[in-house]
Amino acid sequence: MNSRKIVAVLFSKMLLLLCSVFLLSLLVFYVSRLAPGDPLMSYYGERAEKMSPQEQAYARSRLGLDEPLAIQYARWLQRAFRGEFGISYKYKRDVREVIGGRIANTLLLGGVGFVLVFVLALALGVVCAWHEDKFLDRLLCRIGTVTSCIPEFWLSVVLILIFAVGLRWLPSSGAYAIDSGHNLLDRLKHLILPLTVVVISHLWYYAYLIRNKLLEEVRAEYVLLARMKGLYRRQVLFRHCLRNVLPAYFSLMAISVPHVLGGTYVVETVFSYPGIGTLLYESARYKDYNLLMLLSLLTGVTVILCNTFAQTVSERIDPRIRREDGESYEEEEQ
Amino acid sequence: MSELLEVQDLSVSFDTPEGEIQAVREVSFKVKAGEVLAIVGETGCGKSVLCKSILKLLPEIARMKSGRILLDGVDITAYGERDMCRLRGKMFSMVFQNPLTTLNPSLSVGAQIGEAVKVHHPGISRQDVESRVLSLLELAGIDHPKERMKQYPGHLSGGMRQRCVLAIALAAEPKLLFADEPTTALDVTIQAQILDLLKQIQKKRHTATIFITHDLGVAAGVADRVAVMYAGRIVEIGKTAEIFRDPRHPYTWGLMRALPVFAKDKDSLYSIPGMPPSLINPPEGDAFACRNEYALEIDYEKQPPMFPVTATHFAATWLLDERAEGLGIKAPDFVHLKKQGKETCRTDEEKRKETPEILLDVQHLTHIFPLTKKETLRAVDDVSFQIRKGEIFGLIGESGSGKSTVARCIMNVYRPTGGRILYQGIDVCNPKMFRANRKMLQSCRQMIFQDSDASLNQCKKVCDILAEPMKLQHVKPPRGSYRAEAAFWLKRVGLEAGYLDQYPASLSGGQRQRVAIARALSMEPALLAADEPVASLDVSMQAQILNLFKHLQREHGFSFLLIAHDLSLVRFLCDRVGVMYKGRLLETAPVEEIFQHPKHPYTKRLVASIQIPDFLEDGPERRDG
Amino acid sequence: MNEAFRVVGIRQSLQLPAGRVRRNWRGKPLLSALLFVLIVTGCLACDLLMTKDPSYMDLQHYCVPPDGTFLFGTDTMGRDIFSMIWYGGRISLGIGFGAAFIQTSIAVILGAVSGCAPKSVDRLIMGATDILLSIPNLLAVVLLQAALGKGSVPGIAFVIGITGWMSMCKVVRTQVRQIRNSEYVIASKCMGGGFFHVLWHHLAPNFVSSVLFMAVMSVRNAIVAESTLSFMGIGLPVEVISWGSMLSLANQALSGRAWWMILIPGLFLVVTLVCLTNLGNHLRRRVNRRHSNL
Repeated sequence: MNSRKIVAVLFSKMLLLLCSVFLLSLLVFYVSRLAPGDPLMSYYGERAEKMSPQEQAYARSRLGLDEPLAIQYARWLQRAFRGEFGISYKYKRDVREVIGGRIANTLLLGGVGFVLVFVLALALGVVCAWHEDKFLDRLLCRIGTVTSCIPEFWLSVVLILIFAVGLRWLPSSGAYAIDSGHNLLDRLKHLILPLTVVVISHLWYYAYLIRNKLLEEVRAEYVLLARMKGLYRRQVLFRHCLRNVLPAYFSLMAISVPHVLGGTYVVETVFSYPGIGTLLYESARYKDYNLLMLLSLLTGVTVILCNTFAQTVSERIDPRIRREDGESYEEEEQ
Repeated sequence: MSELLEVQDLSVSFDTPEGEIQAVREVSFKVKAGEVLAIVGETGCGKSVLCKSILKLLPEIARMKSGRILLDGVDITAYGERDMCRLRGKMFSMVFQNPLTTLNPSLSVGAQIGEAVKVHHPGISRQDVESRVLSLLELAGIDHPKERMKQYPGHLSGGMRQRCVLAIALAAEPKLLFADEPTTALDVTIQAQILDLLKQIQKKRHTATIFITHDLGVAAGVADRVAVMYAGRIVEIGKTAEIFRDPRHPYTWGLMRALPVFAKDKDSLYSIPGMPPSLINPPEGDAFACRNEYALEIDYEKQPPMFPVTATHFAATWLLDERAEGLGIKAPDFVHLKKQGKETCRTDEEKRKETPEILLDVQHLTHIFPLTKKETLRAVDDVSFQIRKGEIFGLIGESGSGKSTVARCIMNVYRPTGGRILYQGIDVCNPKMFRANRKMLQSCRQMIFQDSDASLNQCKKVCDILAEPMKLQHVKPPRGSYRAEAAFWLKRVGLEAGYLDQYPASLSGGQRQRVAIARALSMEPALLAADEPVASLDVSMQAQILNLFKHLQREHGFSFLLIAHDLSLVRFLCDRVGVMYKGRLLETAPVEEIFQHPKHPYTKRLVASIQIPDFLEDGPERRDG
Repeated sequence: MNEAFRVVGIRQSLQLPAGRVRRNWRGKPLLSALLFVLIVTGCLACDLLMTKDPSYMDLQHYCVPPDGTFLFGTDTMGRDIFSMIWYGGRISLGIGFGAAFIQTSIAVILGAVSGCAPKSVDRLIMGATDILLSIPNLLAVVLLQAALGKGSVPGIAFVIGITGWMSMCKVVRTQVRQIRNSEYVIASKCMGGGFFHVLWHHLAPNFVSSVLFMAVMSVRNAIVAESTLSFMGIGLPVEVISWGSMLSLANQALSGRAWWMILIPGLFLVVTLVCLTNLGNHLRRRVNRRHSNL
């Protein structure tokens, strides 16, 4: 593949991305404004109710909320191209700052959770596939099914009940204690419970997938040939079967990045963890339009980027899909 | 020569929910170093299981119930996985049936061969591995080995892949090679090449080989000794010449009579009646008795032991017992059988010549598949031929030659890119004309697919499957109900009405194909297109289905387009033949013309590649002893 | 000559039928089915089971741990949890089935259309699903919920149904494509089977099992979604009793160490979900006859 082709492919992908983002923003913008509820409430809080109609009208025009929707959107779009996304009504600060202050927390929770899920699922899947239909596999499958059924919020609450309220071992909320500053040990302590919930609630889905894919591979005929060479069963599993499963797993995990990263909002809410998830929830609930727009754009872009990445991975890494031009199927003629 | 492998009284069975499948029953044989033993038998007779059980490559539900396996005089019966790993590759190795699935698709060919080298030479340097791989690829007859070793299996053709598998099998210079139907999944011309290669390598390296095949002809060509297996047992074993010149077991007689050599110009193919028994609760006594026209009373009661015929030739049939000597049952005279024939069915041909009415006229048919945005595949390229009323026209060619696409274009599954197809003067490719005559076209042309497993809906009962075309065309069932109609057609193709309420999954391949034929025939078509109708069946089943085709065609007089890759089949059934290669129709001619005077070089190669067992030809003794 | 050595030729031998499959319950989710049926009938017949009025707030007995009169204790508002569970289960299950029905119908219809339609229509539908998939689920639910006004049972079911069909739609489309290219469909078309004939006689029976599986799973997901939403305070209000809204009192329960308010409704919820999962998996599981080569 030459460089011009790559540029062309990249260009078309970028174009597609831009289109999708544009459509997404349009959708979120209109739907968010369709819903009843007053953004003034989130700006002025309790005071908004006591304001006179004139004051309200003034406040609206100051926030640019009195114009027709199309113009509001055009304005937002114009500013967005310059990289400005307005101020948050609730925090009265630039939305970029608001998000910037919290994104690290979510990335820490979601990122570490993601890596743990990735590694543990692989290990668990391999263990289950190796012991197919034996006691260990059956046991793990049972436990896995049950854990995958427990709703995140309930698991969080139960863990708090046991470890924070009952045993008093771990803190029940927040990302760090107020008085201890940014002590690493303290951060870890606060991270354990939310992380446990994130890992447990996602783990089995991926582990089961790996297990099933491996079981499919193990039934392929090339396994017999590989064993015929004199390889041990373990070597066949790792060198052949797992290798064939990995591209699919990588691309699946890439698709799941936003799912794991962004799916932390329930956990964040229960543990009062200052992250993006709670922010998204609040902004949608209380009509913090500017914050909402930027957040949904961020998540949307992540989703689309990850999907594109996953597609590329599965196309490029996997030689089964990859085909060099014109080299396939040479005929056997003498 | 010393015994390399000795198998004594080996029994293997599988534990399944339906019961215990006794796949291999009390099998004993020996293989000397450098010797080629062919194991012949139908699908499911346990020949593959036998090999895999010696290599201990069977799944966990398989159990070795009895027996001993001696390798080079060492008892390996109780060996565990670790010990076997040391032996596999080095002492014995295996070539599998389907080269398309036996190579790991996501590793380059070189890496896979290199792996096989490294296993038994730990610590070997990278250069040494590479040079070994190159020499192995050369040994396997692969050109440009340097470039090939970097390619992935997906880039190689079937024959190439089988050569790679062979290279892997030979990587650690095994003393014993198992070849499990190594040519079955390949095209005819390539089959011959791979067989030659195997023979060459065998000669060069003196590797003892156990060659599994369902084709007696192939066995005759490669083996020193032949073992015939039936229902999990070896029923006859001996030197190749002994088996072919003086077969003793009725099953061997049947297999030999089913060979295409004996079918030339015959009215019907010989086929062993019935089907192999299920190996769950196999019948008492001789498992072959219920298909054996010479079966004795005792065959139904007692399993015959191995009777020696000569010092090297054994057969398990009561006919060899001294008490049966007076019966005077002898093998059919094969030399005589071969000369027979010729005078039948000429009259039919003459009759056909008198009715030159053309039913189907294919003119300059072209079909192009788009592969990617730029690439296209010219699957069918300017193909023209005619089929007359009541004629059987055969279209032969290897896989990918476009013959199926032609059939599908004729049946309006694909719309051709160019050309015309006239059915009784109606251009079926023209949407307007097609729509105007849709009802007639859909009931007068029927198709039978290659894979009866895929062409019958698994969710429907046989009864509903058979009734579907009648319901679709609103045909009033002449026998009262659709069910009665379905039963009638089922009977026509030789199945009992009891199968009406079965699902296709519970039928065997041959039975399913019969159902597909019944479904097509129930519309009383004028044109029947069959796409490789017997390719997935066993030899004896093939013969049964082909006889059925011939019989039904004569009775109903429909025109028949037969698509096949097997020349002998075409020769038996067809009046005229077209040869396709890479989308082009190379030549069309009456069937004997093609065989006697092939014009195109490809046709010549095709005709030359048919394995004709030469064991009956007179000549010097073949390599005995 | 010996009588046994007489040629009798081919004789129809009665081979024993290949070992009839014993009807065994092994591997079938019996326990799950039983529990699920128990829970469902309990919820449907809640009027017979309830010992107290579930919505009556007995302010003298609030936060009472389980005892003789209040089998599962009372919540912070003095309502009897035992009665609430059966009563609320009806609503939770109702929302689950309702939402699943909406999801499945949209997914099957769109998926089937997309699978059968020409390329341009297919691309359009799939593109739209992809964009909808990239909206965070929570966001969509919150916005829609707000647009519908105060949380009501049909409203929640609608919101969950309308936001959760996308991935199922993709699966249905792939399945339809696969079946559509299979030989028996081609054969049927050759014989003159029209679009609806093929759809009804060939497509439908073949993907009914996977659709059933997906439908059961979407019941499960909808129940989870309802309880999560109610817990977060965007679903049903506390006055409308469901398993989710009962659990939304969990934060208050935590401070009062009222474990029964968290564990008991939660356990009912989890058991129902596990049963549904097992039942769903059983529907999907195909008998795999091939054996491991490893």
